[in-house]
This record gives sequence, C-alpha cells and structure tokens, in this order.
Amino acid sequence: MIVCVAVVGHQNNPLYIQSFTEEDDALKLHHIVHCSLDVVDERVNNPKKSGPTLNETFLGLLYPTENYKVYGYLTNTKVKFILVTTDLDVRDADVRNFFRRFHAAYVDAVSNPFHIPGKKITSKTFSERVSAIVKSFGLSSAG
Amino acid sequence: MGREVSESCVDGLLTEMVSTYCNRFYANKPELAARRIEAIGYQVGHQLSERYTMERPRFSDHLEAIKFICKDFWSELFKKQIDNLKTNHRGTFVLQDNRFRWLSRISIDPSLENGEAQDPSAMAESKAAQATSMHLYFPCGIIRGALSNLGIPCAVSADISNLPACSFVVRIKA
Repeated sequence: MIVCVAVVGHQNNPLYIQSFTEEDDALKLHHIVHCSLDVVDERVNNPKKSGPTLNETFLGLLYPTENYKVYGYLTNTKVKFILVTTDLDVRDADVRNFFRRFHAAYVDAVSNPFHIPGKKITSKTFSERVSAIVKSFGLSSAG
Repeated sequence: MGREVSESCVDGLLTEMVSTYCNRFYANKPELAARRIEAIGYQVGHQLSERYTMERPRFSDHLEAIKFICKDFWSELFKKQIDNLKTNHRGTFVLQDNRFRWLSRISIDPSLENGEAQDPSAMAESKAAQATSMHLYFPCGIIRGALSNLGIPCAVSADISNLPACSFVVRIKA
C-alpha cells in the first residue's frame, strides 16, 4: 500500500504532499520524504551509483527503512516525485508505471493557466486523480 | 494523446494578441507591449516543456537541451525542425528557421522593393520591420520559458534581416 506521495520543486520546495494512512503519522511520513531528498541529490550528482541507465527519470529505490520503501523520480525540469510504500515486495515495473501516470497528472495540473509555477498545487482534480492512481497501484500489485 | 489544433486559429489568435497589446493596451509604449507578449510566451513555453520532456531521459548538458528545442520541441510546435544551429561554444546559440511558420502570413509592402533611397519608403520599411518583430516576442518567450524550465536561464532575441528566414539568438546566462 502506498502511504505517501510528494512533489518537490527544483529548489526542494514542497509542491504537493499527501499521505494515505488512517493513523496520525503524517509528520513521520513527511520526515521520510524530507530525508529522501538528500538521497536524490546524491544519486544525481554521483551517477555512477545510480545503475546502468544514465539520466533516466526513474531513480529507483532510494532507501529502505524498517517499514517503508522509498522510491524517487526526477523530471527533466528538476521536479522530484517521492513515493513511500509499505509493500516490501514491489515490482519495479509497477513503480515505473505509477510514476508515469503520476507525471501525466502533474503535467496536466501545472498546465492549468491559473496555476502559478513554483507554488503549491491546490487543484482538487489533481488530488482526485492522484488518489485514483494510488488506489489502482495497490490493486495491480496485489493481483 | 494526439490532439489537434487548427492552424489558422492559432495564426489568428497570435495576430490578434499582438495587435491588441500594441494598439489597444499599450498603444504608446511598444516596449511594454513587447514585454507583456514575451511574458505570455514564457508561460506557454514553461508549460509545454514540462509536457514534451515527459518521456525523455534527463539532459546532461546545455547543448542537449538546445538540440531538444531544435528537433522535438520545434516539430511539436511547427511540424518542422530548426534548419540550422550555430554556436560559439561560449553560451550563445543561433537557431535559424528558413521558413518560420508564424511569419509566413506576414506580407511586407511590395512598393518598398523599389526606391529605397526615398525617405518615406525607408520609414515605412522600418515600420513594417517593427510590426514584424512584434510578432516574434511570443516565440522568443516560448524558447526562453522552455529553457528556463529545463534549468537554463537565458535571454532570447530574434533577427529578421532576411525574411522569411528568421533566427533566434539564445544567450545563456552564466
């Protein structure tokens, strides 16, 4: 299950962060997202460690913690997407697919002429789309 | 994904936008009108670059990003690539389009061809050139917006010394 997704701007400013848990652990999840930003920077600046495919948008598993796995994605425009999941057995293809759909939703959201670049994304449509993508991720990995 | 846009509508919209800003909003301040039009282009380029780079790996240097503008970005916008790219390898790039689509409908008064020495025609010519250059602030803004969003702050200007060819000069800020 995906517990948290986040969009972080090119100056590491939060653009959108949403957790999907019943419990009151938003702060902990935000902390995890915050920590992952350093890992993203490290991956990007030392491309040797990031695997065979250079400069790919999908950054792969950033770091595992006891209960969570954190995945990252960096767009051409230096916007970071962070995904926190509790599934310990996740297929890379599923995560890639998730980020691709998430990116499409993000692009549609920032193409709104009323959205101010660099400001938080407040669009309800975007939130709903993200929720739908998050829900379907759970289904596809279970099936 | 494949959505289509009427070309004549875009042409008409662009012409109207330029004429509205130049003749109604800022009739006596062409610099201000130019800045406003450029800013609209910037926003458009900003958003388009986000969309068109979606399925691509990240660019490793400036040249790669400029090449993307010349090839894929230009193809998406104008159904053709930039015809010629020059660079001095010090942050200045010249992108030349031999038949720029948004200028192909602009006619320059044919009477200007003869009698260049006369004063009134020279004045008319400079006026026509000024009107033409007004139409280029929008594409300049698009290029600047796209490159800025890709992390390359720059200044873009246009040169129309040999119509209908048109060159865009990109100066990357250090």
